[in-house]
Amino acid sequence: MSGEASAHSFVPTYPELKPSYVEGILYTTMNLFNARKDVEYYEFGVFNAEWEKVPFAMQNKIMRVKHLEKKKIDIYIREKDKQEVVYICSKSKLIIAGASKTSVSSRVCSKVK
Amino acid sequence: MKKLFILLSTLGLAASINAEEMEVVGNVASKCVVIPDTAGIYGNPTADVLSTDPSDGGVDPVVRFDVIQASMYKAKISYPIEFSESPTLNDIVNWTGSVGTSQVSDTSMSGYDAAKIEFDNVTEFSLTVAGSTWFKTESQADYGYGKAFPGGVYRAVVSAECIAI
Repeated sequence: MSGEASAHSFVPTYPELKPSYVEGILYTTMNLFNARKDVEYYEFGVFNAEWEKVPFAMQNKIMRVKHLEKKKIDIYIREKDKQEVVYICSKSKLIIAGASKTSVSSRVCSKVK
Repeated sequence: MKKLFILLSTLGLAASINAEEMEVVGNVASKCVVIPDTAGIYGNPTADVLSTDPSDGGVDPVVRFDVIQASMYKAKISYPIEFSESPTLNDIVNWTGSVGTSQVSDTSMSGYDAAKIEFDNVTEFSLTVAGSTWFKTESQADYGYGKAFPGGVYRAVVSAECIAI
């Protein structure tokens, strides 16, 4: 085993939506860990069971997460969309560089309870 | 009484009289970690072919999935069907590929390949055993009808997704 030398994790696996300080808005806190040296930016998305986008708000939908940095991310969803929300995902954004190589785009998705 | 306490302290017994049991609490939460393990390289065995197959001079990209608890996630891996970077191409590129396990941390993962679901360029594996699984992605690009790929840099992206179920 080589350890988590170049890893992408996004937890919790089953987040819960909780009421926020704004009426009619729910939120959940996710934790992202970036141990990928080749990735500095992650994109976030919220989806329904058919993988269609569900509107959500957060500080930045594409966020810089430096190598070996852990970041807490609050994701806000309208209460009326609560039944729609199934997946919350983080996806690595790749920098175009290198020659004749394949790189790996990683995406980790949690399932809302 | 004071003299008794001093005496007990000297004998190292005072601490044992005040000792309490302490509890250590732990929580193992389910988690999936995606780890690009080996960068893929395209070999160019003939003018019209780019291939990651080692027999063609390429290297198959390998991605490792670590899951802490069984049956909480599925892995969804896609081989490329377009270049993310290439010279201008004026003919069709035909893509083929496959995804399979290359290494497992638990022998009971050996059934993953037989149980995999393939559609288009996507392969899904149910991660039914806790531990690490290495998935190898082969891909080949054939240019036009035996046309030579123009010189330049070619780059493609393998998509590795870990989705809670």
